[in-house]
Amino acid sequence: MRSTVEYLFLIFVWGATFCAMAAVFILIVFLTYRGLGTISLELFFGQAHWFKAITGSQPVFGGLWPAMAGTAALVILSCLMAVPIGIAGGIYLAEYASPRFHSIVSFFVDLMAGIPSIVMGLFGFSIIILLKHTFLPQARTCLFLASVCIALLVMPYLVRTTQNALQSISQERRLLGLSLGFTKWQNIRHILIPSSNRGILSGIILSVGRAAEDTAVILLTGVVSQAFVPRSLWDKFEAIPFRIYFLAAEHKTAAELDQAYGAALVLLIITGFLFFVAFLIQKSIEKKWAIIG
Amino acid sequence: MLLAATMVSVVAALSILILLIYFVRPIFSVEGLKAVISWEWRPFSGHFGIMPMMVGSLCLSLGALLLACPLAVGISSFVCVLAPKKPAKIVNAVIHYMTSIPTVIYGFVSIFLLVPLIRDWLAKGTGLSLLTATLALSILILPTIVLVYSAYLREKDSSMRLTAAAIGLSRVQYFLFVLLPLTRKGFVVASILGFGRAIGDTLISLMLAGNTPLIPGSLFDSIRTLTAHIALVIATDSQTTFYHSVFAAGLLLFLLMALINIIIRKLGGKAS
Amino acid sequence: MIKQLGFIIFFTLFVLISGNFHAQAISLSDFDQFEGGIDIAGGTAHIPVMNEAAKRIMMQNPRIRISVAGGGTGIGVQKAGEGLVDIGNTGRALSQEEIDKFGLVSFPFAIDGVAPIVHPQNQVTALSSDQIRAIFFGQITNWNELGGNDARINVYGREEASGTHEVFWGRLLNKGEIVQTANIVQSNGAMKVAVAKDANAIGYMSIGHIDESINPMAVDGVIPSQETAVDGNYPVIRKLYMNTKGEPSPLVNAFIQYIYSDDGAEIISASGYIPSK
Repeated sequence: MRSTVEYLFLIFVWGATFCAMAAVFILIVFLTYRGLGTISLELFFGQAHWFKAITGSQPVFGGLWPAMAGTAALVILSCLMAVPIGIAGGIYLAEYASPRFHSIVSFFVDLMAGIPSIVMGLFGFSIIILLKHTFLPQARTCLFLASVCIALLVMPYLVRTTQNALQSISQERRLLGLSLGFTKWQNIRHILIPSSNRGILSGIILSVGRAAEDTAVILLTGVVSQAFVPRSLWDKFEAIPFRIYFLAAEHKTAAELDQAYGAALVLLIITGFLFFVAFLIQKSIEKKWAIIG
Repeated sequence: MLLAATMVSVVAALSILILLIYFVRPIFSVEGLKAVISWEWRPFSGHFGIMPMMVGSLCLSLGALLLACPLAVGISSFVCVLAPKKPAKIVNAVIHYMTSIPTVIYGFVSIFLLVPLIRDWLAKGTGLSLLTATLALSILILPTIVLVYSAYLREKDSSMRLTAAAIGLSRVQYFLFVLLPLTRKGFVVASILGFGRAIGDTLISLMLAGNTPLIPGSLFDSIRTLTAHIALVIATDSQTTFYHSVFAAGLLLFLLMALINIIIRKLGGKAS
Repeated sequence: MIKQLGFIIFFTLFVLISGNFHAQAISLSDFDQFEGGIDIAGGTAHIPVMNEAAKRIMMQNPRIRISVAGGGTGIGVQKAGEGLVDIGNTGRALSQEEIDKFGLVSFPFAIDGVAPIVHPQNQVTALSSDQIRAIFFGQITNWNELGGNDARINVYGREEASGTHEVFWGRLLNKGEIVQTANIVQSNGAMKVAVAKDANAIGYMSIGHIDESINPMAVDGVIPSQETAVDGNYPVIRKLYMNTKGEPSPLVNAFIQYIYSDDGAEIISASGYIPSK
């Protein structure tokens, strides 16, 4: 016999779930509906020919290509910086750190994980101002600065996922290398890391996703509304999430608004794809552990 | 060498703190502090108060939390306890997916769907308001709270489920009277994490809240948060109090997040 | 001896004068010799002109890269002053303080006006300047007090650092206190979008940005437009300035001269402003 309280709660639960699902569904449908029609070579390359644009012989105006190149550059640079350091940090915390050290450093890692991205952007901006007043008067906000800031933002994820991946390796596997005579480092390098590589990979995917979508940091560290494919680390750059924000706030024509919808759909597809890859990795981890037990 | 890599996080966090304090330093005189901890933001008439933005941030984040927490509890119970396997798995996957949706997309869709809704259908104000931003923000933080809370639920569930079934409790009763009280701590941890996520968000309030530097009198008023304030004002004049007040906003945010982390640690949760 | 001196003087004068002529007659092909980048930021009214000029120059010579950012007059001053960009755009004249502190050099290049704007479907299309002041000060709060619909007036404004804001506030609002509940938008472009979407909105915006999505409000019988700004009937006008820290480098100078050239004048007019020095 169900009391009214229980019935109400059940209704509430199904209602809440329905609301959340509906919200996501509406979001995806709306963007697809408005954005699908705009996806064309013109969305990406404007008036320029696509091959010339990619090889750099013709600049692109009114297309997404510079923003995509900018976001790609950001992601690649920040991951190049963050991945080795983050993984190394995770390894240290999981395998070498004393409990006290572990606890202190963990606190800082969590702190960094929680930093609002605008504060990180403020930090980057103030570094440039500081540099200008001291030793580097030609310093400017640029791709390099933005990449460093994003790298600092994603590093905690890498540290955490590496740490978790390493810590969830079973005792038997850990002892495997040691029993064969490996040193601790050899054990880590040849047994533990390869065993946890899928976990580490999911951390990397998380970082890539974060680097691709973060807008607040780049607002203060060098993104502009019109620039071109960044040719050097010290150039200003465009980025997809900023383009979406900018066009939403300031589209001059209906065509620009369409471009915003197209860009939003493209970003959604990219992040959706990354999510899907991470999901597959997760599934393969589960399968692997299911077999091993 | 590995040690050095680990220390990067520590060094970075400390340098951010130091740099923020360095730039805020000039206002640490009595009149400087008074100017910044005041209630009006009219820089050209000499008012650099960031308190309206602080209130804006708090109202928005608490509002989003108030909306998202009950929903999160409902969805978590759906996924872990109350629903049949198939729907539970689907909903779980969708919630996971929601965490990958970029914030700018939530803001973008809200501008074109939510804002006209509030402006034309409810006929209140410009559509850019505390309410609009709260709605969008609550959807943003919902998956975070659900995922964290579900983890706690599952943990308790695995040990309690059989016992509860043996006593003859229905699923709903089991959740309401056994799991819910047991996972109180988890709920608090999840809410605090959600709150942290909400306070730190820039884009939703920048795009949807109207950006008026005033304390909100009603849900339909336009407000400005600390995060949007930093984004809006960042580079006007690098020597005067304006600029320093923006760093004060940044410092406030940083300290708030540190506080949140400490609280969560005390509660014994993991802030991942 | 005198003859040689005379020749030297004549030659120097000739070079100087012809140099000037050359600078005024700069055209796109003159950019072929350059390579490098120009970063531009600041006033949002200037953006259409900057974007178009940048586009033409970069199509001509892909080895030049010009980036254009907005941010408003405040950012133009600060970024140029700090040396973070090569050209900082402002929608108002620099104050002596700013010139002294940062060592900025100003290059006015266009005349623009700032007009009050409303949604195209708003029945109220002409007001006196007193009424406009009353609206922005929060004394009139409903459109029906002015002959329009029964709807709350939604006021949109800009940050105080904005040049557009300063001109409008100084010349039309006579520096009164704008109502605190105004929604703040970040640029001229954003103002246009905001007012175009809100049937009960009123805001202020650079005349160059006016298009069919919004209506300029006639002030004391004068409709703000390019023509009325030029012939002096519409009083709320200002010049658009490019500013550099110290004398500009050759590439930046070439860009500035390009804006001053006939090509530049064409771009300025097409964007809705009046070319001027």
